[in-house]
Amino acid sequence: MSELLKVHNISKTFRRNQVHALKNVSFECDKQDVISVVGASGSGKSTLLRIIAGLEIPNEGEIILEDNKINSSEVFLSPEKRNCSLVFQDFALFPNMSVRENIFFGKNASKNKPMIEELIEFTRIKNLLNRYPHEISGGQQQRVALVRALSINPSLLLLDEPLSQLDNELKHQVRNELIHLIKKVGATVLMVSHDIEDAMYMANKVLILNDGVVDQIDLPSKIFNLPSSSYVARLFGKTNILPFNDFSYIKHHFFDKDRNEEVVSVRPHEFKLNHSNPSSKNPEIKGKVLSINAIGAFYEILIDTGKFELLVHIDKVNQIKTADDLSLYIDKK
Amino acid sequence: MKKIYLTLILVCTNLQAQINIYSHRHYDSDKILFKKFTDQTGIKINVIKGSADQLIERLISEGGNSPADILFTVDAGRLHRAKVAGILQPIESKILRENIPPSMRDEDDYWFGLTVRARVLVYSKERVTPDQLSTYEDLANRKWRGKIAVRSSSNIYNQSLMASIIASNGSRKALSWAKSIRKNMARAPRGSDRDQARAVAAGLADVAIMNTYYLGILANSPDAKDREVFKKVSVFFPNQNDRGTHINVSGAGITKSSKNKKDAIKFLEFLSGSDSQKTFGSVNYEYPIKIEANQSELLNSWGPFKYDKLNLSVLGANNAEAVKLFDKAGWE
Amino acid sequence: MDISALKSQKPLQILRQELLFKLNGWTILSLIVGLIIFFPIGEVLLSINSQSENWSHLKETVLLSYLLNTIILVVGTAFFSLIFGVLPAWIISNYQFKFRKILEWILVLPLAIPTYISAYAYFDVLELFNPLLIWVRNNINNDLMQFINNVLVYMVTILVMSSVLYPYIYLLARSAFVNQGAKLRDAASTLGYGEKSIFWKIALPMARPALIAGVSLVVMETLNDYGAVKHFGVPTFTSGIFRTWLGMGDLVGALQLSAVLIIFIFALLLIEKQIRSRSKYHDTLHSKPNSKKMVFGKKGSLAAIICCLIPLILGFVVPVIRLISWAWISRNKAGTIISMEMVSNSLLLSLISSVSIVSIAVLLAFTARYFKSSIINLSNRLATLGYSIPGAVIAIGILLIVAQINAWLNIALTGSLFLLIFAFIVRYLTVAWQPINAAIETNCDSLNHASKTLGSSAYTSLTSVNLPLIKSTLISAGLLVFIDVVKELPLTLILRPFNFETLSTATFDLSSQAQIIESSLPALCMIGIVLIPLGYLNYRLENIK
Repeated sequence: MSELLKVHNISKTFRRNQVHALKNVSFECDKQDVISVVGASGSGKSTLLRIIAGLEIPNEGEIILEDNKINSSEVFLSPEKRNCSLVFQDFALFPNMSVRENIFFGKNASKNKPMIEELIEFTRIKNLLNRYPHEISGGQQQRVALVRALSINPSLLLLDEPLSQLDNELKHQVRNELIHLIKKVGATVLMVSHDIEDAMYMANKVLILNDGVVDQIDLPSKIFNLPSSSYVARLFGKTNILPFNDFSYIKHHFFDKDRNEEVVSVRPHEFKLNHSNPSSKNPEIKGKVLSINAIGAFYEILIDTGKFELLVHIDKVNQIKTADDLSLYIDKK
Repeated sequence: MKKIYLTLILVCTNLQAQINIYSHRHYDSDKILFKKFTDQTGIKINVIKGSADQLIERLISEGGNSPADILFTVDAGRLHRAKVAGILQPIESKILRENIPPSMRDEDDYWFGLTVRARVLVYSKERVTPDQLSTYEDLANRKWRGKIAVRSSSNIYNQSLMASIIASNGSRKALSWAKSIRKNMARAPRGSDRDQARAVAAGLADVAIMNTYYLGILANSPDAKDREVFKKVSVFFPNQNDRGTHINVSGAGITKSSKNKKDAIKFLEFLSGSDSQKTFGSVNYEYPIKIEANQSELLNSWGPFKYDKLNLSVLGANNAEAVKLFDKAGWE
Repeated sequence: MDISALKSQKPLQILRQELLFKLNGWTILSLIVGLIIFFPIGEVLLSINSQSENWSHLKETVLLSYLLNTIILVVGTAFFSLIFGVLPAWIISNYQFKFRKILEWILVLPLAIPTYISAYAYFDVLELFNPLLIWVRNNINNDLMQFINNVLVYMVTILVMSSVLYPYIYLLARSAFVNQGAKLRDAASTLGYGEKSIFWKIALPMARPALIAGVSLVVMETLNDYGAVKHFGVPTFTSGIFRTWLGMGDLVGALQLSAVLIIFIFALLLIEKQIRSRSKYHDTLHSKPNSKKMVFGKKGSLAAIICCLIPLILGFVVPVIRLISWAWISRNKAGTIISMEMVSNSLLLSLISSVSIVSIAVLLAFTARYFKSSIINLSNRLATLGYSIPGAVIAIGILLIVAQINAWLNIALTGSLFLLIFAFIVRYLTVAWQPINAAIETNCDSLNHASKTLGSSAYTSLTSVNLPLIKSTLISAGLLVFIDVVKELPLTLILRPFNFETLSTATFDLSSQAQIIESSLPALCMIGIVLIPLGYLNYRLENIK
């Protein structure tokens, strides 16, 4: 076995509600992989992380870490005995301990002192060591939590929404720092995020979780270009889900459970006005303008073709008014 | 802290000569007598005070390992219950037999009465003349409608009174008596015996059923209002022409588990002696066990009376029946 | 998605996981401790199956009236406690007026007075109505007088009880009102709501969970009371239990009555839980505490002060003045009535009990939360039932069990301080467990996860994360227990060792032997002792705000 982590058929339900539940989740994770689990809140992604950390016990399934069975119907290795560590969404720094005490709290952390010193240096928190968590900023808390998690030299690093607590500007900076740090220590990372953009940036594999079921697990680029469900398609923003029957000239199609038919996903910006590029081979679509809204650099137009309502993004709308007839085509293969 | 340890040690070991008493009584007279006994004999006395019922439950729970030597209660009914529960033992003592009249001790010598209280009628001097009063049974008469004050039937003294009426008149008559009394009450039963005297003094009721002992308390209360109450009322001993006034005793028995039986007997004998009896009467307004030998000024002022010679064991035997009849009569 | 495809976790599977993965020293110890504490209560509950010979008699004659009286008393006391508690809480958390600060503080003082002492202090208040009653009897008729008398008895009992129990509601209502925040009030007033409608339509419904919690405490205390109802002659369930046990000598019947009472209480608790869980959305508002206060004019201030003073006078000033005047009359007996030993017994007993109860509460709450064990959760629920059960019933349960142990090991367990302290643990564990459990939940749950994933043992997590973070809660919980134990009566009375007097037993001994006036001395001592931790707790509550 070459995988570091093998998750096999994990299911978990909670007694009272169906939210956060998992159903038959399986995937594998190689050494130095950075996998991002993406899903809406309540999709069960945090539960998955907590099950791997040992904070929840699944109803069914197996987990194997470094060739050791850490979870099955007969085995449950308690979290303190698993060689993985978790960075919590709210960082969970011990408020009664200084930054230094926090970092060196982990079991055997003092044995890894040179490595930890280096991390402290790298994350520029050396001057904060004697402060208490409430005395430092959110970004700094984030770094302390990371260093603390790495202090026990885990074979798997789990990150729960690592960027959700930070404001937008800080987020971009921390994201880059995080990528650097992960590369530097060569860590294997499983992170959870509700933001597909973060996942695309940081991960080399993305796992899409929808209502406790794995919808797709693939390279980031494939997830974007070749979504396997309407859910995945919508994760990247507004899109038109249209029946494959009417748009069979579009190559990538998939099955939509709610509609019970094969569909295609066409993003608003993939529509073009007919006159602007007459060389296209795709058929013409005609429709009436229902509404026009200026949104920054482009206009969002709602068009009624008689059969569908289409959401279209167009750069220039010189002469277009509500109730005009428009002619469009899809610029996509 | 030391004291607590000491207590623990005392309970666990029996090095010094001592006796352990479970007592329902909380009186100064007892404190005086305990001290006197210790001074005379060198035998130390340890006491747990509590309600007799709960002390009996505790004795039953402790079984043969109980540290208690003596159970001291304020009524005969509970002593009888203790005897039936099998936590007392019979005592062979000439002195006790001589000092205590037969009706006031257990027929098998399991327990002995030590002081006496009479349950009498207390009436308003203003509104009632003694010739209107005669017996407990007469209080059931319509003429007393809305005029009687008496406490709750949860109280042991009422239960004992009812037990004696059952013994004398039978259950059926006793029930109809209780029903009539309930109808004649000036108010739903509440409060202590003293509160009944207060109700009479305030004009709410004309006659109260209560113990002589509590009148003594009122007469000598530090509160002027209480002494005022006492002045407004007078005592009537009912049933002088038939069985006599209902009495009850405060008494004691020696536990089955007693490890200091000899000293315990000595103690009971001491309490039945005339010196101790005098103390009970003067400090605590209780009649001595030989009522005729009473020397307390207050008690003497009420004069001698004829008391019910019913063996007090019967009070215990009829107690449960009495409570049930009260329940049926609606006497709360 | 297809929900039915999701297999929801079955109880059997939970049990299997518990046994397979969660058994360790901590959970086993906690389970044993929890079950031992539940034992006396379980013993009483088991008796519901046995049949007392007197049961049909009880059912025919008194059961209904016990039930009715108890319901009238409980409902009445809850109602007046609500009025006494909510009104001052509302005024104090929303308005600024003279003496506000001091009133806010002293309104909790009645907590220092046990119901039975307050009842003694009011023992003759009903006599005030004698002239009225006599007039009615002489001029109208006897039946009407009886009726008025009964109404008066209930009114006085209810008022006496609610005037000392309202602080439970006042405290919870005050913090609920303060935490509702100014934003909501502002929003409401911009929508054209006046003060009155803000109170009725917004503040009150939002405070409902806190009020219900407060009311349930008041109800438990009302049911626990034996002294006051006995004194005023209201035959309730609790007095019926004694009457059956001791008067009829029927322990089984008494146990059956207790079991009915316990079921009655559990039904109330269940309803409370339902209501509270349904109104959980109230807690999700995170607006800033309401620090802005409206200023009252002169008339308004006067009305506000009177509103706050009425319950305070009834529940604290009158009883305490009464006790002080009695203590003055019997001052020359003080030396013989009160001994240093009595005081130190009370203090030591309460101290030892507080420490043991807090320690056990920490063990149980921590284990259940740290290992997420449903079994321990269940055993904790059972072990913390004691507070809702009258002390006298717990005493019966303990005596029953001890009888078995005594016979079995051939020793006498009764009469040892150990047993008395155990009884306090059974009765008061909840008092410490509730706040400690809540503190661990809010402060430590997520940190414990961090601690676990960093490889530390449960012991390390407890000592270096949990205990330091809930230190202040431990102190408050300990003080709450301390206050309760100092005031406690029935358990101490039944289970105490030889020659062991505390201030509460001395108060009871004296007053039950017609020496009410003298009993004021130990009673005042006791109130004085309780006031110290009460003051400290209140001070801390202010500072947390």
